Amino acid sequence: MNDFLRYKDIVFYRTLAGLKSEARKNYLGYVWFLLEPLLTTGVLYFAMSHLTGRRGAEAVMLILIGMLAWQWLEGSVMLSAGSITAKFHVHQQVPLPKYLFPLVDIGTNTIRFAFAFGLVLVSSLLVTGGPGLALLWLPVLLALQLALIVGLSLVVSISVTLISDLRLLIQSLFRMLFFVSGVFFTAERVPAHLLPWFHANPMAVLIEAYRAVILQGQAPDLGRLGTVALTAAVLLLTGGLIHSYFDKRLLKLTHV
Amino acid sequence: MSEPLIKLENAGVYYRGGRPKGADASQAPWALRGLNLEIRRGEKLGIVGRNGCGKSTLLRLLAGIIAPDEGRLRFSDTDVHVQLLALGVGFEGALSGAENAILSGLFMGKSRRHMEQRLKEIQEFSELGDAFHAPVNTYSSGMNARLGFSIALQTDPDVFLIDEVLGVGDHAFQVKSQAAVREKFREDKTVVLISHEARTIGQMCNRAVWMNRGDILADGPPAEVCERYENAKS
Repeated sequence: MNDFLRYKDIVFYRTLAGLKSEARKNYLGYVWFLLEPLLTTGVLYFAMSHLTGRRGAEAVMLILIGMLAWQWLEGSVMLSAGSITAKFHVHQQVPLPKYLFPLVDIGTNTIRFAFAFGLVLVSSLLVTGGPGLALLWLPVLLALQLALIVGLSLVVSISVTLISDLRLLIQSLFRMLFFVSGVFFTAERVPAHLLPWFHANPMAVLIEAYRAVILQGQAPDLGRLGTVALTAAVLLLTGGLIHSYFDKRLLKLTHV
Repeated sequence: MSEPLIKLENAGVYYRGGRPKGADASQAPWALRGLNLEIRRGEKLGIVGRNGCGKSTLLRLLAGIIAPDEGRLRFSDTDVHVQLLALGVGFEGALSGAENAILSGLFMGKSRRHMEQRLKEIQEFSELGDAFHAPVNTYSSGMNARLGFSIALQTDPDVFLIDEVLGVGDHAFQVKSQAAVREKFREDKTVVLISHEARTIGQMCNRAVWMNRGDILADGPPAEVCERYENAKS
């Protein structure tokens, strides 16, 4: 119990520390949390509006929501991939559960996401004309994505520490997934025979659900969300098992 | 004699990270093998041995950083706080000395409150003055070491593991820091000190262990053990 409180403090404190140091390092500080996805959205919107002819505020929001949700996942998992190795000197001196380190990176990135997402949410509601009842689904969606992120990060953090080549592989996988997750397009553009494949990707399902809830005021597809929840549960379980097995073995298996 | 605080039974550790690619894991050299050791409450145990004899692995094992591959490590109760005297564990450059003191304390097993209550002592002992509230990346390496040492001193574990008696900072601070470490030896603390200098062990400990190639060659009064170690060396 004491340890639990201490670990909670470490995660909380280091998350804050990470945000602080980031803000102190860059001139624009926290503004980057929003500026970065805005810039990417600008590029994607420019390209997509020319290709599809979809223009206007809603098209921007569509991409922006997809972009933020995607960056929340990719940013967190890629940070987690390096988080144990980055603090190797700490692990050599104090016995700490290794999972704390990916959790800190997820925390930092989640606050970043929350900041930008909050602003996007408010402006989306202004565009669509006020919140609908469907918005009550939003916390469920966010919790599901967080579970997915934590599960994936737990697995990735140990795997990359053991086999560092995996980092490049995962990076490439993410790049590929980005294009098929519907970040800058909607399911309507996907050919019918490919739709089941499209929806097998939890991120595509989540992004679609965010848009339904925020922009269309519709409840998300529960069947598909169930599959996402199952995926997240499997990842969490696997990640937990991997961490408990490797926690005290990692230092004997790797050398940095 | 009190009951043993820590008990190592036939403990063995080997590293797989250092072996060349493709080599058989079972062929990896054992850093420790068949080690039996009991550490009692209040004991000042000195461990001598040459480089690569397994001293540091033993400390890591005791600190709970790695688990034994063979045998067991047992504590008299689960709450025993064992800690390595480490300098500057994971300082965050953009944070102040005070903020880092709390963070390091958390790393080393102390609560946030425990560290907050001791910030003043840390500031004083480290002689950092107002710089204590400035970001650590503006510190000189000496200031870093002083802060690290002052934090470690305030973490107050049940068992202190010390890897060589550290002298950090300039001469005046070295004298002060070594005096502080010696103070730990006078208190009713359990201390494990490793050193390749038999003289230090002879002066500061009340029991000595000589290690070689991951095994214990001698265990007993410091004067005797150190003499055997010195004789074997030459």
